[in-house]
Amino acid sequence: MNMMHEIVKEWLEQEKIDLFIGYKVVDGHPLPCFFTRENIDDVDNLVESKARYPLEKIAAKVYSTHPEMKIGILARDCNQRALNVLYVWNQLDPEKIETVGINCCPSPAREHADCSYLEREPSGPLKTLIGIENNLKPEQAEVYSQEERFKRWSYEFEKCIKCYGCRNICPVCFCKECSLEHSDLIKKGELPVEIPIFHLVRAVHMAGRCIDCGLCEDACPANIPLRLLYREVNQITARLFDYRAGTDSGQSPFSILGENVTLEPMSL
Amino acid sequence: MDYQMVPSICPYCGVGCGVLLEVIDGKLAGTLPLKTHPNNEGKLCIKGWNLHEHVVSDNRLLFPLVKEEGRFREVAWDEAIEISAKRLKAIIEEFGPDSVGVLTSAKMTNEANYLIQKFSRAAIGTNNVDHCARL
Ligand code: SF4
Ligand code: SF4
Ligand code: SF4
Repeated sequence: MNMMHEIVKEWLEQEKIDLFIGYKVVDGHPLPCFFTRENIDDVDNLVESKARYPLEKIAAKVYSTHPEMKIGILARDCNQRALNVLYVWNQLDPEKIETVGINCCPSPAREHADCSYLEREPSGPLKTLIGIENNLKPEQAEVYSQEERFKRWSYEFEKCIKCYGCRNICPVCFCKECSLEHSDLIKKGELPVEIPIFHLVRAVHMAGRCIDCGLCEDACPANIPLRLLYREVNQITARLFDYRAGTDSGQSPFSILGENVTLEPMSL
Repeated sequence: MDYQMVPSICPYCGVGCGVLLEVIDGKLAGTLPLKTHPNNEGKLCIKGWNLHEHVVSDNRLLFPLVKEEGRFREVAWDEAIEISAKRLKAIIEEFGPDSVGVLTSAKMTNEANYLIQKFSRAAIGTNNVDHCARL
C-alpha cells in the first residue's frame, strides 16, 4: 500500500467521496476503473498508468446521471486543466470533485514523469519533406511561407479518415450537437473530408477550450499534428483576449458569441 | 451505480483493434480505444468507435421472424430452422446447389465462419460463400 492508496481509502471511508476514478491493471492493460467503499480492498490495485484516458469525461458522464455523487479523480496536470474547463462550463460541480494529483509531464521542476505523451516518435522522411512534424512548436511551424504552410497542412488534413476520434476522446468536447455532424458544414459520408473546413471548424471550436492534453493526437490514426493546430488557435486566443483555457477562470471569450457580438476577422 | 470497462476486440475487420467497452449499470454505453493494445495503439476507425451501437440498436434482430403474406411473424428457433431447411432443400432440388449463395459475417468468430463455409460446401454443395470484410 502506498500513500495514494492510503489517501483514497481514507476519503472513501470518511465519505469524503463516494467513488474514485483511477486505473487498475486488467490482463496486462491499465484500464480506467471505479473504486468504491463497498470494495475498498480493491484500492490496493490502484495504479497511476502511463496510458492516459479522459477520466474527467467519465466523471462528467457520472455527474449527468448521478449529480449527488462525490467523485475522486486521479489527476495529472492535464486532467486538472480539463476539470477546470468542465467546471466553468457547468459539466461538473467543483464541490463534488476531489483530486489526487500525480506526477506528470516533465518540466525543469520535474525530471521524472508518467505520461503516454512523452516519447513521440520522430517523423519519417516524407512527413518532414511535405508535411508538418508533430513535435514542432507553433513558432517553428510559422517559419514556412503562407503558401507552403497551407500545402503542408493540406497534406496532413488529407490523411484524415473522419473517425471522429479526436472529438470523441477530447475531455472538453461535450456539445450535445456537434458542428462536425452538422450537414450544412460537413458533408455526410464523404472522404476525404473537405479541406481545410473539417479541421478548421474543430480548431475554431477548440480556441479557448482546448487544454493541450494531446489525447486527440494520441487517438488520431492519421497522425495529424492536432495538438500543434489547437496550440496555434489557443495562442491567438491568449494574444487577443488574454485568456488561457484550463487555467483562467470564467468561460472563454467565445462564449459571448451570439446575437449581439460578432468577431470580425482582424489582421494578426 | 456500477461502471465497468471491459477490454475486447473490435469484430468489424481483420485489423482486430483493441477496444474498451464502457458498461454503465449493466448497459453497454460506449466504446473507447484500448490505448495499450499493440494493434491499434489507442486509435480506432469510425466503425470501432461506434461498436456499442450495433449491440444496443433498435434495429437489431433479437429473434427469428418468418415472412408470411408480406408480414413478419415471430417464431421459435426450431420452427425457423425447419422452414429454412425445407425451403433450401426445395430450391436446391429445383435449381441445383449453385443457385444458393451464403453470406457470412466479419462480426462472427473464426470458428463460426469455418462452420458456415463447411455448411455451404458440404451440406448445400456450393462454393458460393463470401464475407462482408472482403471489400
Ligand atoms: S489537446 Fe485535443 S483532446 Fe486535449 S483538450 Fe485539446 S482538443 Fe481536446
Ligand atoms: S482523429 Fe484524426 S483521422 Fe480521426 S477525424 Fe480526427 S483528425 Fe481525422
Ligand atoms: S476499429 Fe476499424 S480498423 Fe480497427 S478492427 Fe475495428 S473496423 Fe478494423
